Amino acid sequence: MTETVMGVSTAVRPVIEVTDAGIRFRRNRLSRRNFKDLFAGSARRTRADEFWALRHVSFSVAPGEAIGVVGRNGQGKSTLLKLVAEVMLPDDGSVQVRDGVAPLIEITGGFVDDLSVRDNVYLTAGLHGMKNQEIAERFDEIIEFAEIGDFLDTPYKHLSSGMRVRIAFAVISRLEEPILLVDEVLAVGDKAFKEKCYRRIEEMLEGGRTMFFVSHNEKDLRRFCTRGLYLDKGALVLDASIDEVLDRYDADYGTP
Amino acid sequence: MSAAIDVRQARTPAARYRHSLWLLTARDLKVRYSTSFLGYFWSILDPLVMAGIYWFVFTVIFQRGVGHEPYIVFLISALLPWTWFNGSISDATRAFTREAKLIRSTKIPRTIWVARLVLSKGIEFLASIPVIAVFAIISEFTATPAKLQWGALLFPLAIIMQAVLTLGVGLIVAPLVVFFRDLERAVKLALRFLFYASPIVYGIADLHKHPSLEFWAAFNPLSGIFSLYRAAFFPQELRWFDVGVSAVLCLVVLGIGILVFRRTIHAVLKEI
Repeated sequence: MTETVMGVSTAVRPVIEVTDAGIRFRRNRLSRRNFKDLFAGSARRTRADEFWALRHVSFSVAPGEAIGVVGRNGQGKSTLLKLVAEVMLPDDGSVQVRDGVAPLIEITGGFVDDLSVRDNVYLTAGLHGMKNQEIAERFDEIIEFAEIGDFLDTPYKHLSSGMRVRIAFAVISRLEEPILLVDEVLAVGDKAFKEKCYRRIEEMLEGGRTMFFVSHNEKDLRRFCTRGLYLDKGALVLDASIDEVLDRYDADYGTP
Repeated sequence: MSAAIDVRQARTPAARYRHSLWLLTARDLKVRYSTSFLGYFWSILDPLVMAGIYWFVFTVIFQRGVGHEPYIVFLISALLPWTWFNGSISDATRAFTREAKLIRSTKIPRTIWVARLVLSKGIEFLASIPVIAVFAIISEFTATPAKLQWGALLFPLAIIMQAVLTLGVGLIVAPLVVFFRDLERAVKLALRFLFYASPIVYGIADLHKHPSLEFWAAFNPLSGIFSLYRAAFFPQELRWFDVGVSAVLCLVVLGIGILVFRRTIHAVLKEI
């Protein structure tokens, strides 16, 4: 985490490096499993009831790039994001992330119903590696961004769903991590707040962050991203500029 | 306010581990104590009621009371650690399912999800130790006072051994329950069996009428651990053979736990 992130030296090594990564899931949740299955470590076989959600995916991301992931539902976009966030581990190949990550994935997940908003902010930010002093410095700003000042000592469960998302976004987007992962969370919240979130993301991109963005919204993708990854049937079909990727996607699936 | 990336001094992985572990443990305790009025009292009420029941059954109804006097101190000195073990393991069966959302969104080292249970229950156990002292002091005014022995110095060793054992069992149970939901009930049953298979309502010495039992009982790692706890007031309960076997078993269980956890965590993360 040094100044190289700011582009001082351009021949930098990639911050994200995905090499021949693959992950497989079971098709049927209820299918029988036995102990032998569980401990058979080899990732090479595919059993009848399993499928590869992603396979042979390789790419690398240089610091400061903004990447949009494109594909139809169920083609592995979110799974790829989870691999990069390292909340899932590949069965095949490797995923290396060399810098801190601020994951805007299931952002309200870390919040505890019974604790107050204040406690929750400290807890979530702390779990993502922030020190108490750093949180204290940013606390007012987080609250202001979430427009939630009157509810600091309200238990989280009493907040409206809009407020929950606002405070969660405010915390995660203030993590100061060099890599940002966004998974369509911004579909929620009212229009004004959505725009505010987008401005925050743009600001962060200008600040030299690397972004990984999963969305179905073409306008958003073109707005933020420079490079696109097109996933289809668990494989990386095209890795090119975002316009090229979107054109190919439209050609394949005929969306206007 | 700038959107540029601040240069933050990176922490070592160990420091991050400790930090996250402590945050989650503190959260557990905070949730427990901020949502219930009686808070601390609840964590000691359960073992106290159980101790009261056993004391009544064995000393009043059966008029047993040979050897281990005062029986209430004898009981509580093993019941409180048992409550720690029992609580951690039964919570470990839900370690992943209850926190699924959080686990899916943060990448802290996964063993923390089990370790935090052992730690928070362990802190509750430490907070309940004064209860033993209270009963020991009360017993001073009865015909059979409890005398504090040098064996009380073994308390820390017992705590360390129990923490290792509990963590080991938790690391085995937590991921397996994700795949085999039935295991949750099986664990409850096993814990109830273990309660009577461990020297809690009785002492190790009570087994000497059954020599073969006495030998095999040593292979319950809890025997050695409870014998260390009890050495504080009941020196005849301290069996170094049991303690030795237990120490080895604790490490073996932790080793198996780490192995199982490592092999299954990939699949666990997909499943939750």
